[in-house]
Amino acid sequence: MSALLQITDFSLGLAGRKLLDGVTLEVDDGESVALVGESGSGKTLITRAALGLFPDRSQRSGTVSVRGLDTLTAGRRELLRLRREHASMIFQDPRAGINPVRTVGDFLTETLVRWHGLNRAEATAQAVEQLERLGLRRAEELVAQHPHQLSGGMLQRVMIAGALLGSPELLLCDEPTTALDVTTQAGIVALLREARQERGMGMLFVTHDLGLAASLCERVYVLRGGKVVEHGATRQVFLAPKEEYSRQLVEATPVIDPGAAPHAPELPEDAQPLVAVEGLGKHYGLRGGGTVTALEQATFRLPAGGSLGVVGESGSGKSTLARLLVGLETASEGTVQVEGSGRIGHRLRTAERRRLARDVQIVFQDPYLSLDPRIPVGQAVADVFRLHGKEGRRKAKESARELLGRVGIAAERLGDKPRMLSGGQRQRVALAKALAARPRLLVLDEATSALDVSVQAQVLELVEELREHLGLAILFVSHDLAVVSRMCSELLVMRQGRIVESGATARILADPENDYTRSLIGSYPRPLWETESLEAESAAP
Amino acid sequence: MAVPAVAFVARKLLVLAVTLFAASLAVFFSRFLVPGDPARFLLRGRSPNPESLAEITRQFGLDKPAWEQYWTWVGGILQGDWGRSLSYRQDVSEVLLGRLPTTLQLVALAAVFIMVLGLLAGIAASLNRGFADRFILIALTAAGAVPPFVAAIALVAVFSVGLGWFPSFGSGDGGLDRIWHLTLPALALGLSYIAVLARVTRSSMREQMLREHVEVATSRGLGRGSVVARHVLRNALGPILTVSGVLVAGLLVSSAVIERAFGLSGIGQLLIQSIDRLDFAVVQAIVMVVVTAFVVVNTCVDLIQPLLDPRITAGTENR
Amino acid sequence: MTTLTFQLPQAGLRRYGSLLSPLAWIALAFLAAVVLLALLAPVLAPFDPDYVDLNNVLAGPGAQHLLGTDALGRDLLSRLMHGGRTSLLAPAAVVLGSTALGLLLGLAAGWSGGWAGRILGRIFDLLFSFPALLVAMLAVALFGKGLVAPILAMTVAYVPYVARLTQSLAAAERARPYVQAYRVLGFRTPWVVLCRVVPNLLPVVGAQSTLNFGYVLADLAALSFIGLGVQPPTSDWGAMIEESRGALLGGHALPAFWPALAVVLVVVAVNVLGEELSERIGGGLR
Repeated sequence: MSALLQITDFSLGLAGRKLLDGVTLEVDDGESVALVGESGSGKTLITRAALGLFPDRSQRSGTVSVRGLDTLTAGRRELLRLRREHASMIFQDPRAGINPVRTVGDFLTETLVRWHGLNRAEATAQAVEQLERLGLRRAEELVAQHPHQLSGGMLQRVMIAGALLGSPELLLCDEPTTALDVTTQAGIVALLREARQERGMGMLFVTHDLGLAASLCERVYVLRGGKVVEHGATRQVFLAPKEEYSRQLVEATPVIDPGAAPHAPELPEDAQPLVAVEGLGKHYGLRGGGTVTALEQATFRLPAGGSLGVVGESGSGKSTLARLLVGLETASEGTVQVEGSGRIGHRLRTAERRRLARDVQIVFQDPYLSLDPRIPVGQAVADVFRLHGKEGRRKAKESARELLGRVGIAAERLGDKPRMLSGGQRQRVALAKALAARPRLLVLDEATSALDVSVQAQVLELVEELREHLGLAILFVSHDLAVVSRMCSELLVMRQGRIVESGATARILADPENDYTRSLIGSYPRPLWETESLEAESAAP
Repeated sequence: MAVPAVAFVARKLLVLAVTLFAASLAVFFSRFLVPGDPARFLLRGRSPNPESLAEITRQFGLDKPAWEQYWTWVGGILQGDWGRSLSYRQDVSEVLLGRLPTTLQLVALAAVFIMVLGLLAGIAASLNRGFADRFILIALTAAGAVPPFVAAIALVAVFSVGLGWFPSFGSGDGGLDRIWHLTLPALALGLSYIAVLARVTRSSMREQMLREHVEVATSRGLGRGSVVARHVLRNALGPILTVSGVLVAGLLVSSAVIERAFGLSGIGQLLIQSIDRLDFAVVQAIVMVVVTAFVVVNTCVDLIQPLLDPRITAGTENR
Repeated sequence: MTTLTFQLPQAGLRRYGSLLSPLAWIALAFLAAVVLLALLAPVLAPFDPDYVDLNNVLAGPGAQHLLGTDALGRDLLSRLMHGGRTSLLAPAAVVLGSTALGLLLGLAAGWSGGWAGRILGRIFDLLFSFPALLVAMLAVALFGKGLVAPILAMTVAYVPYVARLTQSLAAAERARPYVQAYRVLGFRTPWVVLCRVVPNLLPVVGAQSTLNFGYVLADLAALSFIGLGVQPPTSDWGAMIEESRGALLGGHALPAFWPALAVVLVVVAVNVLGEELSERIGGGLR
């Protein structure tokens, strides 16, 4: 008797490139298994293969069998039956995954009506029941609504409901929480855990986040470049990885640890702050009247050479704050002082902007869009030297070569266009471009969020090193509490445009005062063995 | 739900009114681009004796300020008084109304060809990969490069002169005879638009096929037919409809060329004759009719769009 | 004819492609040959295009008249070559003019955003509701027959196609992080727009203008065909087709066939090039 999902020596090639190479993996009934890998590791291809979905014109070998049916050789009808009755998949982005022009109810019932022999009313009743079981209130109204009327977290519950309605034995999850906020993610993860236990399904959980895998799955497969590098019990892989790559991955995975937060630099009491923000606010007028408050009453100080983390979920106003600091937005109220000189309330003129540029620089999130696609990276950096250092063409080129060398871009890559570089390399170039203006404050707006964990770790290391060496102050905006707490001695926690808590990072992590901060910390995925031992402790007395 | 919907319709209707107003300004004041005496301009090609000059001055109110002339003209149009034609010695509205049915029938028949053939070719191309898709694409590129007047000549050469299946001239009597007479003109008119619509259908459907929600539908065990009908074609309808609306303008204007080529007496033919005969009142009226038709059709398209995609009224459209 | 602005690529623009496909090379070579033949018509054409030879009407292709003669015995090859001059030059003028104007207005609208951008956008929308051929016919009604007024009129009528595209592209580029990085770094806005952003837009706008060329050529030929454009005896492809209708109904298809073939082949070639360009660009950033 083979396992529920039994993948044996599965290889997949496309246009001469081997994307999967001899993958062997199994998931039993009632078991939850994580598949962890960075981008390009082929983890998505594996989940698709379990449903018989392969890229066009790919060469395949080995077996991928679900309940004994090999999807590589199965006929069309068998595959349809497999998808309808045996296995379901939950996709990463529910907003892209649910047809936006049809109602939520249509999404849920289209499968029920088609081959479970229900009429529309019965199907709708089942859908409503399932939604309610997943904790969605007013489900009767929801089924008549369209996806754009629901929040991301609600939509992902709808997607899960859709997957569970077919009563699958195997549930495939493809990064189901990556598009969601941390507090929402915690709810979804709890939901999946319950659903699995209740139904005894087997679950294959694909993620790039080792911490998340550890919080949900008993076994884990580590995938790299289409090959399984290591597999075993999650705890064993996490605490005592055998392979070098797994070890790197574990180390690079950020964790919340109050003891690891950096200490604030020693400063004289009367030192003037580099940045002083007082009562800062930003309101947008809507086209049909009414205003939206993106940020209000933000007040904080940042000393020269200091490090301040800004943490919040989507809509918290953290990016607005960053954009106000670098002058990309004009404040509606309040003041920003950089080095004692105030500015605010009007759009910047070129001369002011240039002066500000030497104080504050920013690195954006998306490494694919933050560099001019047409300009070779060496020239991009040299342009900044020519503008700010008043350097001649030759001198600027020399300076650019040196600075790019510092951030780890070799001299022979200077002539490359951005698209020839990897995501991490592009972010290094963006960093160099910002530093070429010799700013005293560097704003990082989710600057590592689009990168793989191992690359993120390298870039973060580079930022730390540069900060120490150049005496930079940094303001690190991120949704990821763990990343920020590793980098910054001070912390601002933001929610819905307001700062809800601020203080030393170590203090906030160890002893949060605000309820929201507490739930933010509590939502961070915790390994199964820790929660189990906690439960055991609390159950003991 | 109701409030944004009402606001949406009201906004579209307001835009319609403003656009028509601006268009009427452009059409009316275009005459003022011509330097010199407006009365002599309007009487070009005719004997400018004092009586006729006085007559034309009175009829167009040329002695009054420009704005007053404009309001008189617009007011007249709204009340069905479109002025008088110099060459036909008739009210413009009468001349127009007599010609309108032929043009409408021609355009309607062409629209049927475009919708049926364009959609079919586009869907067929999008569903097939490789050779069939390539073949349809090449055929579409070729068809799209044939301007209506060239298509008219070619169709006449083959089907009228060569094979003798269809007449090459006139619009025939009513009923089937009319359709028989209008088949070649409508095909000639529609050919390049069939290509345009087919291309849009193909690319719009291809774009939807790459969407994740289509993959989700497939992963849930929906058959290919259901996936295409419910999730691909259904979502592709929006862009297809938008393009169809834009095509109307070209269709109306190109029908002038086709009417000329096939000797059909519609408003397009009338427009060309009136330009030839320097009958400016008629030209102005026809230009206004065509522009109005275009703007109204596209407003209708805009009003239908939210029924196809509910995100549009909500103003959060990011497909 | 109606032109279409193609959809904006979502992921961004792929800027540089590799070499053109073989098909596009053929199209390019064909266009170059046609332009060369038209330019050198006075030197290369075997006959005076207006020379009437009533003893040799409607002759088939032969050694003397390679493509035959028309109903007045004029040499079709010579008329075709001379006709190419007006038939190609006029659309070129329209496309150049509308591209320059449209780029300027579109940049202004897209970059300024806000109410100024919205008003310009409304003006583009208004111009859209006037089909180019209709505007050209109105121009003829106002200023009399000939090509100058229609060329000017169509230049204006084609501005919104370029301007709208440029507007949406410029607005999209403006919101891109790389442009914001330029602003934060303190580069002057005019420099950023002209030296950094416009070169990134040009391939897309160029693809649209290439497609426009085909549409304008067809529109102007149609104008001559209905007798409102180029006037006899000047040779023009559209006018040649019009002149040959009598012969066509009498069973002599050749005099109409050659200019029709010329129009269609040139438009096909232009479309092949334009589509190749836009496909290359639309492929996304990676």
